[in-house]
Amino acid sequence: MSADMSSRRDLLKGAGIFFLSMARPGSARAGMPEFSEKVPQWAMIIDLNRCMGCQSCVIACKAENETVRGGFLTRIVSKEVGTCPSVRLISSPVLCHHCKDPKCLFACPNGAIFKLSCGMVVTDWERCTGDGNCVKACPHGARIQDSRFGNRADACDFCLHRLEKGLLPACVEACPSRARIFGDLTNPQGEFLSYIEDMGFLDRDRRVNMESRVLYVPLTAKMRC
Amino acid sequence: MKRGKNKEKTNSERRRFVKTAALSALALLGEGRAESRQDGRFWKDPREIQGVEASGRKADSRVVHSVCLGCNARCGNRMVVKDGRLEGVEGNPYHPYNSLGAPINYSTPAAEAMSLPSPVCGKAIEAPEYVYSPYRILQPLKRAGRRGEGKFEPIEWDQLIKEIAFGGRLFAHLGEDRRVAGLKDLDSDAPVDPRAPELGPLRNAFVFMTGRLQHGRKAFIDRFVKNSFGSINRVGHTDICGLGFRMGNFIFTEGKQVELKADPWGAEYILVLGANIYSALQPGVNTYGAAVAKRYSENRVRFTVVDPRGHEATAHADAWIPIKPGQDGAFAMGMIRWIIENRAYNMEYLCAPNAGEARALGNSAYVNATHLVITDPGHPNYRKFLRMSDLRPDTKKGNGDAYVVLSQGDGLPVPFNEARRGCLDEERVLIDAQGRRIAVKTAFRLMKQGAMEYSLEEYAGFAGVERALIEQTAREFSSHAPRAAVCQYHGAGNYVCGTYAAYAVAVLNALVGSVETRGGYMSSGGGAATWKKGLFDLKNFPQRRRPGGIRISRAKAAYENTTEFKRKKATSGTGYPARRPWFPFTKGGLCVETLSGIDQQYPYGCKALFTYFFNPVYSIPGGYRFRETLADPDKVPLHVSIDVGINESNLYADYIVPDVTYAEGHYGWLSPHAPALKFTGIRTPCIEPLTGQTEDGRPFCLETFLIDLASAIGLPGFGDSVIPDSNGGHHSLHRAEEFYLRGFANIACNAGLPEAAPDELGLVETNYPVARHKNLLPESAWKKTAYMLARGGIFKTYEDVFEGNLFRHGLERVVLYNERLAVTKNSLSGEYFPGTLKYLPPADSLGRIIDSRDRDYPFHLVTYKLNIHTQSRTVWHLLALEILPENRVLMHEEDAGLLGLKNGDRVRLLSRGNPRGVQGRLKTVRTCRKGCVCVSFHYGHTQLGASSLMVKDGNKVFLGGEKVWAGGKLLPDPAFARGLNPNYLSNLDESLGDTPMVDLVGGIPDFSTTRVRVVRDQ
Repeated sequence: MSADMSSRRDLLKGAGIFFLSMARPGSARAGMPEFSEKVPQWAMIIDLNRCMGCQSCVIACKAENETVRGGFLTRIVSKEVGTCPSVRLISSPVLCHHCKDPKCLFACPNGAIFKLSCGMVVTDWERCTGDGNCVKACPHGARIQDSRFGNRADACDFCLHRLEKGLLPACVEACPSRARIFGDLTNPQGEFLSYIEDMGFLDRDRRVNMESRVLYVPLTAKMRC
Repeated sequence: MKRGKNKEKTNSERRRFVKTAALSALALLGEGRAESRQDGRFWKDPREIQGVEASGRKADSRVVHSVCLGCNARCGNRMVVKDGRLEGVEGNPYHPYNSLGAPINYSTPAAEAMSLPSPVCGKAIEAPEYVYSPYRILQPLKRAGRRGEGKFEPIEWDQLIKEIAFGGRLFAHLGEDRRVAGLKDLDSDAPVDPRAPELGPLRNAFVFMTGRLQHGRKAFIDRFVKNSFGSINRVGHTDICGLGFRMGNFIFTEGKQVELKADPWGAEYILVLGANIYSALQPGVNTYGAAVAKRYSENRVRFTVVDPRGHEATAHADAWIPIKPGQDGAFAMGMIRWIIENRAYNMEYLCAPNAGEARALGNSAYVNATHLVITDPGHPNYRKFLRMSDLRPDTKKGNGDAYVVLSQGDGLPVPFNEARRGCLDEERVLIDAQGRRIAVKTAFRLMKQGAMEYSLEEYAGFAGVERALIEQTAREFSSHAPRAAVCQYHGAGNYVCGTYAAYAVAVLNALVGSVETRGGYMSSGGGAATWKKGLFDLKNFPQRRRPGGIRISRAKAAYENTTEFKRKKATSGTGYPARRPWFPFTKGGLCVETLSGIDQQYPYGCKALFTYFFNPVYSIPGGYRFRETLADPDKVPLHVSIDVGINESNLYADYIVPDVTYAEGHYGWLSPHAPALKFTGIRTPCIEPLTGQTEDGRPFCLETFLIDLASAIGLPGFGDSVIPDSNGGHHSLHRAEEFYLRGFANIACNAGLPEAAPDELGLVETNYPVARHKNLLPESAWKKTAYMLARGGIFKTYEDVFEGNLFRHGLERVVLYNERLAVTKNSLSGEYFPGTLKYLPPADSLGRIIDSRDRDYPFHLVTYKLNIHTQSRTVWHLLALEILPENRVLMHEEDAGLLGLKNGDRVRLLSRGNPRGVQGRLKTVRTCRKGCVCVSFHYGHTQLGASSLMVKDGNKVFLGGEKVWAGGKLLPDPAFARGLNPNYLSNLDESLGDTPMVDLVGGIPDFSTTRVRVVRDQ
C-alpha cells in the first residue's frame, strides 16, 4: 500500500476514533503548536502546484451538497498571468476560508453566522433571512444564496456532515492530484503535517497562522521564456 | 447524496439539536465556545434543510467495483447504489488509475478496501445525471416521417427484429415505394460486385459502425458482424479518436503499438505536444495529469507545453510554446536537426544494431538506425532493407533475411544480429556475389537527410515560433535523457499530412534513447490475462466465418490489387489516380472514409448500416456533410441505430434500438492505455437495466438485439450449443451474461487468481447484480471470478512492469526507416510515400497547401476537449453545464482589438466548407496563439434533447415520461443547444465529392487545418 493512501486512511481512522471517544490531547510532537481546545481544528491546505483546474472538486461538491443551480460552495478561478508567449493559465480553488474574524459574521444583522470552536464558520438557516449582506461582505466570493430556500446564504462547511461520519470533505476525496490536503491542526498527520512544517504555515513561535483555515501553497513555477 | 430525488419531499425542517451528550459528534466539533456569537446550543444546518445526506457507504447501500465510461480513460469506479438507484460514484483504490499509480495491495480484503477514499474526475461523478437523463430512450423506435424529419413511433420488439431481419416494403405507409433489403437478403456469399470479386461477398454490404466501443462489447459485436454474419465492415472510430499520433507510432513501431507516451511516474522531463494533460488524455486527468501535477509539486518532473492553446497545464509548465496548428512536424524536425547537429543524440545506443546489444546498454528496445537500405532505383529491392541474401544468395539458412549493418571497426557488411556496433551515419556502394553494385544508406543517414531538408530557421518559420525556442526545447529534452519523453496525443498530427508530423515527434524519443524504459516513451503493459480461451472458448464456434474482401473504407487494402487499377492501367497507362484514396498502410478504424465510401458508393454500395453509440454528424470534422448521406435511402437503404438517445445522427435512422448505459450493462474487460501499466479492469452493472424488456425478461440492449437478430436469420454463433468448453461441452448464448461471465471466468482462471474467501464471496453475491448468473460457471471458477469482481479487475503495480529500468512488456525495436511504408504508393498520385522523416505542410488531396489556398480565411480553427466533458454525449451532465453553460470562441485579445470585437460579442465563424457559418460568443484571452480561434467540442447540440421531436407515446419512450413529453412532442431543454460545435466548420475536399478531408497515408481526419473568418453577428 502506498504511503499516501495509508496516511489518508489513518486520517479517517483518527477522525473516526476522535468522534467516538472524545478529544485526544493536543499533539505531543515537539515544536508543534499546542491548542488549549480539546476539539479538532480543521484546515485545508491547497497546493497550487498540484491543482490542474480539472473541476473534479467542484463537481464532487455539487453532487454532495446539491447546491442551488448556478451556485457553488467551491469553484475554480482561472486566471491568465503574464503576456504572450510567457502566459500561464492558472487555476485556483476558492471556498470559504473560515476566517478568524469572519467578515460575513459581522455583516449579518441577524446573528445567523457563527464560528464553531473547531474553527468552522456556519450559518443558522433559522435565523438567516436571505438578505445577502454576508455574501457581499465575503472577501473571497465564497458565499452564495439559495433561491430554493428564500435566498438563504450558504458556504462551504468542510462537509461537516461527512466529517461526522469519519469521511473526508467531498472535494478532498475527489481531487486526483491531492491538491487539497485536509487535516486537524491540533493533531497533524502525514502529508498534512509535512506541509504545515515545510510550507511556512507556522509563525516564529511555531504557532499556526489561524487567520484562515484554507492555506494556499503558492505557485513556484517561472516560465523560462 | 440523494440527487434526483424529489426535493420537496426531503422534509428536513427537522431541527438539529447539538446536544452536549458525549456521543454527539457535533458536540465534539465545539458547541458554543467563546468565539461563536451564537450560544451554540443549536442551529439549523443548511444541509438539513436542503436534504443532503453524507455520501459514502450507508448500511443499506450496495457497492460495485466497476470501470468508468465517463470517457474512454478506463479508471476504476466504486458505484454506490441505494434502493436500486445509482447514488454516487467514487474511485476504486485497487486501480492504479485512481491512486496516482500506487494502488492498495491487490490482496487487501475487499471489505477493508471499501472504506478507502479514492478519487475520480467530475465526468465519473456525474454518471447519475447521464444514467437517469430524462432524454434516454427505453423502447425501440421506428421512423414515422422522412429521414431526419424527427418523427418516430414505438415498435414491438418482435416486429423490430422481423423487419430488420427480413426487410420488405417497410415504409410504404409513409409513401416510400421501395423494398428494403433485410439482413437475411445480405446473408449471401455472392460477390458484392461481380465485376470486382476482390471486394468480397455481398455480406460486406452490411456495415456496422461503432462509436464509443470498448473491449467486451467489441468482442460481442465482432462475433456477430465478422464471424457470424461474415462482413468485413465492423468499423471503429480510431480515426476521429486520434489517428494522427497513432499513425506516427504505427510507422515508428512497424504497426506493433500505436500508443506510446511519456511515463508520468518516472519521467524527469516531458514534452507535451498536442496533449491536454490536465483536462483530457487517456489515461485521463485522474491518472496522467494527476501524476504529473503531484510529481511537479515535488520537483520531480518538468514539462514544456507545445500547443496553439495555452491550456491548464501551462500553470506548471517550464514554457508554453504557442505553435502554429498543423506544424507539430516542423517543430519536431527542427528539434531533430538541432539534436543531430549538436550530437545530442545517444550515439552508442543508436549504434546498437539489435535487441541484445541495446539491452546490454540498459535499453529495452533498439533502433534500426544502422540497418542498411537499398537506395539504388534499379535494384529489384529498391527502397527495401538490404538483406544478407541480397549480398550472398548462399547465406546460411535462416539468416538470409537478416538485415545488414556495417560493422564498426572493419566496416564490413554483417548480419545485424551478429554485430556488436554498426556504423551509424553512412552510405556505401556494396558489391554482391555476382559483382553487381548496390548503393545503400543507413536508416540514420536517410532520416538525417529528411531532417536536413530545411534549416532550423525554416522549420521555426513553418512552426511559427522563434528558432531559439526550438533550440532550447531540444537542449532541455536531450539533457534529461533517458528520463525524457514526448507526450503527444490527439492534437499532434490529427490533420491532413499529420502522419509524418507525428512520426517525427515519435523519433525524438529514439534519438535520446528513452523508448520503452522507465521514465521514457512507453507503450502499454497490456491486459492481465486473455478472455478468449481457457475454461471456455469464446472465439471459435461451429460454422464460424472469416470475413474477406475489402473494407468500404479501403483500410489495409492496396489499390494496385484491384480490378479498377488493372482496368485503368490498361487504358491510361499508370492506373492512377484511384477514384478515392486507398489506405494500405494504416492502423485503420476509418469511420470517416467508411461514411465517405458509403456516400460515394465506392468501392461498393452499402445496403444496411448499423451504428452503435455513435454520433458521426456531430463528432466528425465535417460530419455535417453526412446528413445528406444518411438522409438518402439509395446510399443507406436501411439504417439501424443502437443508442441511449436520439442524437444528431440517428435522427436519420430507420430504427433506433434502446441501449443500456454503463451502469446497467457494457460488460467489459479493459486493458490500460499507454504508458507502462498492466491490468484488466472489469466492468459489470451496478443497477438493473432501465430499458424495456422482451417477453422472456431480457433487457432491450445491444446484446439482446444481436442475439435475437441472429436467431431470426439463422446465423451461427448464437443460440444453443455455441460456446465450447475445455471439457468438450457446449453452452448456449441467449443472453449477454452467457458470453461475458464466461469471458470473466477465463480471465480470472487464466490469471491464476485464488478463490474468494467466504465473506468476500458474500459481498459480491449481495452487491453485484451479475452474481445472479453465477450458475453459468463451475463453482470454483465463480469463486475466482468473484475475487476479481470484488476488486473491479486484476491490477499489477507500476514496479511490476519493470526489470530495473527495462520495461518487461515493451517493443523490441523501433525504426527510423519503415520498409513497408517506403514501398507503399499514394493511390492518387502513384508516387511512393517517404519511408523516413519528411516535412510535409498540410495540403488537400490535390496537394494544394491549405494555408496558401485559404488565405481569405485569416484564422486557424483549433478544437479541444474540456475537463468536464467527453466528446459528444456528456451534454446530459447537468453539473458540467452549470460550470460552463456554453462554450465560447476563444480569440487573442489583440486580434479581437484589431477586428473591433470585445469579450462577449456574438460572432459568426465562416469557413470555406461552411460559408453560412456557425454562431458563437467571443471570449478574449491571452492563452490562444494570435491568428487562431479555439473552440471546444461538447456544446452546440441540436439533438439529445436540444430540439423537439414528434414521438408517438413518448411518455413511455423517454425515461423522463411526461416531464419531457406532451402533446405528442418531446419537450426540449434549451440548455443543451447553447454554444457551438466546431466540427460544423471543418473543410471538405472539393476534389473528392465534398467529403471530409483526410490524410492520404493513414486516413486521418482533419481536426486542425480549417481556417475561418470571424465577423460580428448581426
